[in-house]
Amino acid sequence: MALLEIKGLKTRFFTEDGVVHAVNGISYDLEEGGTLGIVGESGCGKTVSVLSVMRLIPEPPGKIVGGEVLFEGRDILKMDPDDVRKVRGNRIAMVFQDPMTSLNPVLTIGRQIDEALELHMGMDKHQARQRTIELLETVGIAEAADRADDYPHQFSGGMRQRVMIAMALSCNPRVLIADEPTTALDVTIQAQIIELVKRLREDIGMAIVWITHDLGIIAGLAERVIVMYAGYIVERASVKDLYGDPRHPYTIGLLGSLPRLDETRKRRLFSMRGLPPDLIDLKPGCPFAPRCDYVIDRCWEETPPLEPVTLGHEIACWVDVKSSQPSKPAN
Amino acid sequence: MVTYVVRRLLWLPFLLLIIGLITFALGLYGPGDPVLVMMGQHANPEAAARVRHELGLDRPFLVQYADYVWKALHGDFGESLKYRGQPVGRLMAKRLTVTVQFNVVVMAVGVAVGIPLGILAALNRNNLIDYFIVLLTVAGISLPVLAIAPIAMWFLAARFHLLPSGGWDGIFSRRIIMPTLVLAIGPAAVFVRQTRANMLEVLDQDYVRTARAKGLREYTVIVAHALRNALIPLFTIFGLMLGGLVGGGIITESIFGIPGIGRLVWDAFGARDYPVIMAYTLLVAMAYTLANLFVDVCYRFVDPRIRYG
Ligand SMILES: Nc1ncnc2c1ncn2[C@@H]1O[C@H](COP(=O)(O)OP(=O)(O)O)[C@@H](O)[C@H]1O
Ligand SMILES: [Mg+2]
Repeated sequence: MALLEIKGLKTRFFTEDGVVHAVNGISYDLEEGGTLGIVGESGCGKTVSVLSVMRLIPEPPGKIVGGEVLFEGRDILKMDPDDVRKVRGNRIAMVFQDPMTSLNPVLTIGRQIDEALELHMGMDKHQARQRTIELLETVGIAEAADRADDYPHQFSGGMRQRVMIAMALSCNPRVLIADEPTTALDVTIQAQIIELVKRLREDIGMAIVWITHDLGIIAGLAERVIVMYAGYIVERASVKDLYGDPRHPYTIGLLGSLPRLDETRKRRLFSMRGLPPDLIDLKPGCPFAPRCDYVIDRCWEETPPLEPVTLGHEIACWVDVKSSQPSKPAN
Repeated sequence: MVTYVVRRLLWLPFLLLIIGLITFALGLYGPGDPVLVMMGQHANPEAAARVRHELGLDRPFLVQYADYVWKALHGDFGESLKYRGQPVGRLMAKRLTVTVQFNVVVMAVGVAVGIPLGILAALNRNNLIDYFIVLLTVAGISLPVLAIAPIAMWFLAARFHLLPSGGWDGIFSRRIIMPTLVLAIGPAAVFVRQTRANMLEVLDQDYVRTARAKGLREYTVIVAHALRNALIPLFTIFGLMLGGLVGGGIITESIFGIPGIGRLVWDAFGARDYPVIMAYTLLVAMAYTLANLFVDVCYRFVDPRIRYG
């Protein structure tokens, strides 16, 4: 049994403009200690899908309208609120995208970590603070004992993200969900944070779901990767297969727009035409069809299911890109 | 911090000096002659000149003002022209105590009702409780005291004899209830509206989601994480109201028969009683300045992002 099994998860937002089909029946497993990457352009439902796992979707306007989220065999979506809270921050913890806004400006960072320890680990204030200081040292904050009494605005973005990581790891979670934790940071800091998480993964042995819109980051981090598009999973494969043998036209497009260092021949850097669809009026058929170079008639009528092409490699596509030519020229 | 407060306080005398100068000039060169008001339109010009001389009103402007400032520094704000022989300081002090006491009660009720209702509305965003509270707020903000007061008086006092219709007997008397109810509606509505808006904004913030993701109880999320952030901006409104504490409502004090400073000043305007008007202007200016300073100091304590400067 996988540690976390997501089955047919569907999340909608019922807004004044219409129903946003943010997550459209996605399924994936996370093994104990494994690292799963989720990639996709911004707005494709990555954040909503993981917030749904934690039942953190603002409701209204949001609502999880279907699916199961089995954590250690129990469906989080069916738990009563008290049990969900025992999972949050304790068994499954999350690091968010924007470290500048994710910490409470009027509470010291020490306090913000202490409270999780007091809540889930039953520590008293003194024990909690001891542990908080250790955690801050672990994530590389100098003079942690003093800095614990500082407020978020006294830290840089990178340092705040370290604080967020310390907070997330405070209760030794089984799963760490990292939602684009480095997107808001500059490149050197980004590399430091990734190294930090890799090191902590060794030490603590938690499983990780790492979300990014940058395929470049995932390569050195995850074993398996999910590619999302318009609230659907369009391709799932091992990192090796995804980079070496991408099968979905969207993934091929994403990889094509990635600059590669090992490129021997000069290849034209390619960017996908068009924009992701509006999730409010999703047309029937494959959501990628309007941007796809391999599109055939069937794509406009039926949404392709996620099906294996080789062992452990699945795509949601009617076309076999290996045996067809692009029907439209790439531009 | 202390330096900051001292620096701000050092400005106060200059401010008062300038405001005083303007008011003084308006009094001297503005329309209406206090002596004529005092003695009647058809007073004997010679007698009027004599009175004017006695009062020192025939001296050059700056001499008069310097004289005023000098005396004011010694706590002497002159004598009322209307109530001859009554020192302005004493005249105002008595009325001021009434006004301040009454306003403090009104404001306390406004805050005590407004903030919890605002929070309640925000937590029930877009359901019946929220709509009901918002409706009350709109009514509270748009209905003028002049309309509510007679209705309340008729209903609560004349018709059902539930409450006295006003008057003044100190803040612990039943007389204060009706005027407080009527006058607290406005401030309460302002606090509801502002609290609700701030709370809604804060509840959407990322750090509230972080707090929930930690597994905190909803109560803790609201009280420890959201509320404080939502209440901080209210200090600004609070400060404005605080500054207004010394200014009595002219109309309201009349309607409810409260012997506060509003009545006194109203009469002073009518009688061109400049010493009273002067003192009142200076008092209000000082109150607003000090209230502002107080609020700034408070901000430095409740909002860690603001540093001593
Ligand atoms: N609170 C909300 N109300 C309405 N729509 C939302 C809300 N949150 C997210 N969405 C919509 O859900 C879709 C997926 O968003 P998201 O999961 O944040 O994308 P990303 O892949 O960039 O993380 C977007 O179309 C977004 O507009
Ligand atoms: Mg996102």
